[in-house]
Amino acid sequence: MTYSSFFVSEFLVLWRRKQDVFNALLFFIIVVALFPIGINSSPDFLAPAAAGIVWCAAVLAILMAVESIFKEDYLDGSLEQLVVSGLSLPLLILLKVAAQWLVVVLPLLVIIPLLSEMLYLPSSGFWVLIMTLIVGTPSLFFIGVIGAALTVSIKQGAMLVMLLILPFYLPVIIFSTLAVKATQSGLPYSGLLAMLLAMSLLSLVISPFMTAIVVKASVN
Amino acid sequence: MQSSASLTISDLWIERGERDLCKGLSFSVQPGEVVRILGENGAGKSSLLKIIAGVLSPLEGKILYSGEDVTLDRTSLQQDAIYLGHSVGVKGLLTVAENLRWYCPDISISILYSVLTQLDLIDLVDVLVKKLSAGQARRVALARLWLTKKTLWLLDEPFASLDVGGVALLEERIQQHVLLGGLVILTTHQDLMSITPHDVVLLS
Ligand SMILES: Nc1ncnc2c1ncn2[C@@H]1O[C@H](COP(=O)(O)OP(=O)(O)OP(=O)(O)O)[C@@H](O)[C@H]1O
Ligand SMILES: [Mg+2]
Repeated sequence: MTYSSFFVSEFLVLWRRKQDVFNALLFFIIVVALFPIGINSSPDFLAPAAAGIVWCAAVLAILMAVESIFKEDYLDGSLEQLVVSGLSLPLLILLKVAAQWLVVVLPLLVIIPLLSEMLYLPSSGFWVLIMTLIVGTPSLFFIGVIGAALTVSIKQGAMLVMLLILPFYLPVIIFSTLAVKATQSGLPYSGLLAMLLAMSLLSLVISPFMTAIVVKASVN
Repeated sequence: MQSSASLTISDLWIERGERDLCKGLSFSVQPGEVVRILGENGAGKSSLLKIIAGVLSPLEGKILYSGEDVTLDRTSLQQDAIYLGHSVGVKGLLTVAENLRWYCPDISISILYSVLTQLDLIDLVDVLVKKLSAGQARRVALARLWLTKKTLWLLDEPFASLDVGGVALLEERIQQHVLLGGLVILTTHQDLMSITPHDVVLLS
């Protein structure tokens, strides 16, 4: 096993499971679409709330994707093979998360122009929303993967993962929606983006090592 | 493959789920040797292999690989070893060829195909592993033994779900490997036909 052959096989597996990715995307669209229908479809309500709505839907979709990231590998024994491969486990986990991030977040970004039209998001806010998603979602994955590793050997782990990691998602959601709101009222937002970036970088450095420790404890 | 590798286990103390599985276990494996671990169900054979492979850690004791102490950091042993556990580690959503490419990316097509022919898998190269039978899936995992040049083989019940032909093939391959100076540690509840192993017995 090498790092590149691992990365390639991860993409192949994700490609074979494209239905799951599609489901997460569909779920994301449905949640967003329910707000104008269910609450209020006037621009006065939707425009200020748009970033919050998109972010909440994105968090739910990402939770769904990340919660089961190790499930199959655990069941078929390939997680154990990663541990004994002699390669660096944190680096393998980093690659796995990167593949998952690309496959889940890129389709979200592609669909967002459509959704932001629906939510009357002004174009200034639109670009900041895109930036917060690019800069902020990696930390959601890196935090989520720790929870997924902790609960991988438990049968009904999905709910537990969500309860476990949702509190850590709150700062990311708050800073992201604040950044979009700031642009909409003409305030500087770069400080808030920098905070998001800092959170992503911090979790990028810490999470693979923590996850590796947890994975080792889980596979035995 | 390292021709002068050796594995020494000394004073190993294995505890699992608050139970002592063995205490003060010592043995060594020299080049060209097959060691079979014997014991009842639940005696700790799989646990011992997992400890050597680095999935678990021992409570006490030392593991030396080629003279180097690898008890705390198993990396150098792992880079020269293949571990096959109860669940064999092939992905159901990849085809036979893709699974083997994942483990052995540098292998050439012709070698891959000749090994798959030997293992009766050649017609299944592009079939998803989840559509294979248990024995066929195990053959896919075992194909790694033909495709990689690792010295130390840690095989946990490698003969499980293999047919008579498969068992004979694997035994032949294990013999080839030890003739070239390889090290094999295996557990099995079956009798071996052509191999004469050194036995290590775990008492429960
Ligand atoms: N995941 C686990 N957590 C805690 N204890 C475990 C776990 N797996 C196994 N054990 C315990 O460790 C002991 C040894 O298990 P192990 O799988 O090593 O036995 P074995 O010798 O390989 O048995 P078998 O012949 O059935 O394969 C058993 O008594 C079992 O109860
Ligand atoms: Mg066993």
